[in-house]
Amino acid sequence: MERDSAKSIESAKGAGNLVKYILKRLFQSILTVLLVVCVVFFLMRMMPKEYFFTEDELMKFTDQQKFSKLEAQGVMSICPTCHGSGLLESGEACPECLKYSTNLKKGTGYVDRSVFAQLGDFFSNMLEMRVFNAKGKEIKTIEPVNVWKWISARLKGESPFGELKEGYSPRLCFNLGRSIRLEKGQYVTDVIATKMSVSMEIGMISLAFSLVLGVAFGVLQARYKDRIFDHIGTGYTVIVNAVPHLVIYTVIMIGGASLLGLPMRYDATASDAWKTMILPIICLSIGSTAGYMLWTRRYMVDELNKDYIRLAKLKGLSDQKVMYRHVLKNAFVPLAQYLPYSILLTVGGSLLVERFFAVPGMGPELTNAISRYDLNLVQGIVLLYATLGILGVFLGDLLMTLIDPRIKLTGKGDVR
Amino acid sequence: MKKFLSIVLALVMLMSVASIASAEELTELNTYETQARELETWNIHYSQAAADLNVLCNTFDGLLTNDNHGNLKPNAAKSYETPDGGKTWIFTLNEGMTWFTKDGEVQADVKASDWATGLEWVLNYSKNDSYNVSMPAEMIAGANDYYEYTKALAESEGAEAVQALDASEGSKFAEMVGIACDDAAGTITYTLVDALPYFPSVATYNCLYPLSADMIEEMGVQGYRDVTWENMWYNGAYVVTYFENQNQKVLEKSPNYWNDANCKRFDKVTIKMVESAATAYQLFKEGQLDHVSLDAATLQAIYDEKEDAQFKQNLVESRPTKYSYQLHLVYAKNLEDGETPDVNWNTAVANENFRKSLYYGLDLTGYLARTNAINPQSCQNFCYTGNGVAFTSDGTDYTALVRKETGLEYNSEKYVRYDADKAAEYKKAAMEELSAKGVTFPVEIDYYISGASTVAAETAKVLENIFSTCLGDDYVKLVTKTYTTLGPEVRTPRKASFYINGWGADFADPINFLGQETYGDEQAYYSNNYSHCNENSDEGLIAAYKEFTDLVVAAKAITNDMDARYAAFAKAEACMLEHALVIPCSYEVGWELTKINNYSKVYSMYGMQAYRYVDWETSTEAYTTEQMNEKAAAYAAE
Repeated sequence: MERDSAKSIESAKGAGNLVKYILKRLFQSILTVLLVVCVVFFLMRMMPKEYFFTEDELMKFTDQQKFSKLEAQGVMSICPTCHGSGLLESGEACPECLKYSTNLKKGTGYVDRSVFAQLGDFFSNMLEMRVFNAKGKEIKTIEPVNVWKWISARLKGESPFGELKEGYSPRLCFNLGRSIRLEKGQYVTDVIATKMSVSMEIGMISLAFSLVLGVAFGVLQARYKDRIFDHIGTGYTVIVNAVPHLVIYTVIMIGGASLLGLPMRYDATASDAWKTMILPIICLSIGSTAGYMLWTRRYMVDELNKDYIRLAKLKGLSDQKVMYRHVLKNAFVPLAQYLPYSILLTVGGSLLVERFFAVPGMGPELTNAISRYDLNLVQGIVLLYATLGILGVFLGDLLMTLIDPRIKLTGKGDVR
Repeated sequence: MKKFLSIVLALVMLMSVASIASAEELTELNTYETQARELETWNIHYSQAAADLNVLCNTFDGLLTNDNHGNLKPNAAKSYETPDGGKTWIFTLNEGMTWFTKDGEVQADVKASDWATGLEWVLNYSKNDSYNVSMPAEMIAGANDYYEYTKALAESEGAEAVQALDASEGSKFAEMVGIACDDAAGTITYTLVDALPYFPSVATYNCLYPLSADMIEEMGVQGYRDVTWENMWYNGAYVVTYFENQNQKVLEKSPNYWNDANCKRFDKVTIKMVESAATAYQLFKEGQLDHVSLDAATLQAIYDEKEDAQFKQNLVESRPTKYSYQLHLVYAKNLEDGETPDVNWNTAVANENFRKSLYYGLDLTGYLARTNAINPQSCQNFCYTGNGVAFTSDGTDYTALVRKETGLEYNSEKYVRYDADKAAEYKKAAMEELSAKGVTFPVEIDYYISGASTVAAETAKVLENIFSTCLGDDYVKLVTKTYTTLGPEVRTPRKASFYINGWGADFADPINFLGQETYGDEQAYYSNNYSHCNENSDEGLIAAYKEFTDLVVAAKAITNDMDARYAAFAKAEACMLEHALVIPCSYEVGWELTKINNYSKVYSMYGMQAYRYVDWETSTEAYTTEQMNEKAAAYAAE
């Protein structure tokens, strides 16, 4: 009885520690994400303003258009001294905005906005409400409402968002602003959601394939180490890692199209749309299959050489039981740590594969957004990637403790 | 029996001929764009990018369009006239035009006042963020004042007050801007700041496109700012039925198109986004595209029959694009630090003999071969203004007048401007004059290219070789340097000695080209942003620029006789070229494999009409070189 209660106390302590650990990691994660977002935010705004324009725009835009665009993007604002005229009442050039002008007699009428004010806009946009009608169509947006106004309106039994028509409902959508270039005017969250779903669909199928194939072949390689099967597997891994991926993709694309008649581009409108996903999925799977094969083999070979396996064999356990009940289970623990990360990573898509097969996913979005200086989109994607990366590692650690209870995430001594 | 057999035979032949004839035309078009050229906005009034307008010119009809020879052609307007020699222009609309959704549901009639709504949108500071405002602001009476009024109002009253403005009767816009619309008569009258004979060509451009006030009322100002293909109202030849960013767009012919009886359209046009020209070529081979422009490597492989030799008979030379490429010399260059003036170069380039030695001394054939390896001389360009921008009353291309003035005529066999003897004379004179001024030789010429482009690096090597062999290493030395982003790294700090840049016109008048190079003019884009000619104090250079500028101003003032106007502009342009202020470089003329008769397409060397998928002649099989040459000959004879 005493032993039971000691055990339950220990387990309660363990659970308490785990909750503490989770909360601590969560707090650290939020801080890290915020830090990453702020650093990227400031870095992007340190670039010269010419980066906001394409060469074509620089060539064809008037100065007025350029400043107007910078104002629309929240980077500049109309000069408060001369109210946009560039001249003081005395007719002299406005000293505030003269420094942005090439004309010494007149200011531009625009001045830089504080980068902190811009950062404030970014975070306050997250609290902007989008109002939808009964059919789910977005009607308008409502500026963020401060906490006191919200509480006082609620206490009075009023809507903090003012009078809304019947059937209209405001929703907090954590807006990250609107795309200013790539998909002008569309909410960054909507752009990301659409792209993410395409990447995830292809990525998850490919991950499932590579996980099943990679682990299965890795097990076989370990079991038949130094035999022909192992050599073939090693050869495959070496080739996949040594040959540039673009070459492999080109071969797969041309081979798949000419030999098997598979479509060369992703096309969701095609009558047999699933066929258009085959080549991108194969390309995505090739590299990760090799990775899973390599690591499964390696961890299994390590386990096979351990004393407890020898003991199990001496005790008369069959090779199959030793292999699957003990070796694979233990070898899978380090692989499992990266599993949540890999799953979450599918959201990010693949730059090369998606560009190559015109898959409208997340892969090329960040580079496109950076090259076109779509600040809001860059910010949104960075926020997403930072969150996914940190969450993936965190979930990986938790998954490991579930698979192997000997691993402790808290306490002193032999812990992770 | 014989008679019966012959009838049967004749019937069979007729049927087979009929089946061939019916199989000849494509009913669906599969075309492509590279991924860097994806559409960014569906708001036609906002867009200034070719990638957007190439699609949107199919979904909206403006007042006028162009035919396959580049002539203006009625579109939404059935006629147009000027009662006072070009200061007032009256457009009369066709009847029966409607606004409809992507599903073909008619929403409203297209009215004359929709053009006022569209113009108000463009000029309204808080609606269109100053996009597309420059042309109407410069041309239409009161337009610039209205724009400034909305800008001032935005500052004092806020954006919402400005967005509430409209073009209705009695509005500030109606009071200030020179546009009068009569819905009952279907007429739109523009009053301009001055007589502008080329104004009808501006009516092909999106700054003068219509906008339904009813649609704005339905979706609100913000709604139209962020309009999408799913909720916009169309009035053009096609509606968009599918769009996936970076994947593809599908256009289907509008079911309610007012001009259905008089134009030929595809049932469906699919615009596929592809990663590169090489991918596009693979798709063409698989039958998934109906045309492909060939990159240099693929073209050479087919031409030399090293790869896909079956396509050699289908190689077709493309028609020139609207861009006229020039070697823009920089007259106020800085050294590598971006601050210290490069006195050696600035002194050299201000010397007319030095510039003329470059003008006559560079045989650019090798450079042109980088664009067109098979027939490089078809890329020759000896004018500043692009081909096909303006024509005299007898149909002569304006650039022919310039070539007549300069005495340079195209020759498909050789690079005509190259004259080694003249170049040697100018070089000798320049070396004497410049040595006396302390210039050291060889003069270093800094040429900047994108560091990410291997193609640009290879082309730069060719240019280095041309400068070296044509002008001599004792005289000049071309040094190639790289940048990541041209503007901030090179152009603003003025690090380059010259740029090779292309300019495409927005409307049909030489002023759209020549106006960019004038001296002492704040609106002259190239003078202020590239050549910085206003900042070089060399008297000879300033005199040459002033001579050219005076001729441009004089030509611009001629508004009642277009032939005289073009002749005067040709003189001005010849003056610019004879002083070698700018050196014409090339046209883009590549090669392609295509099932489209290029001579049937809209041929617009200005504006945004060139990609209208209307009245195209196509074939289910790729045209052969011979067939396309026949089409070209027939076209020339038309």
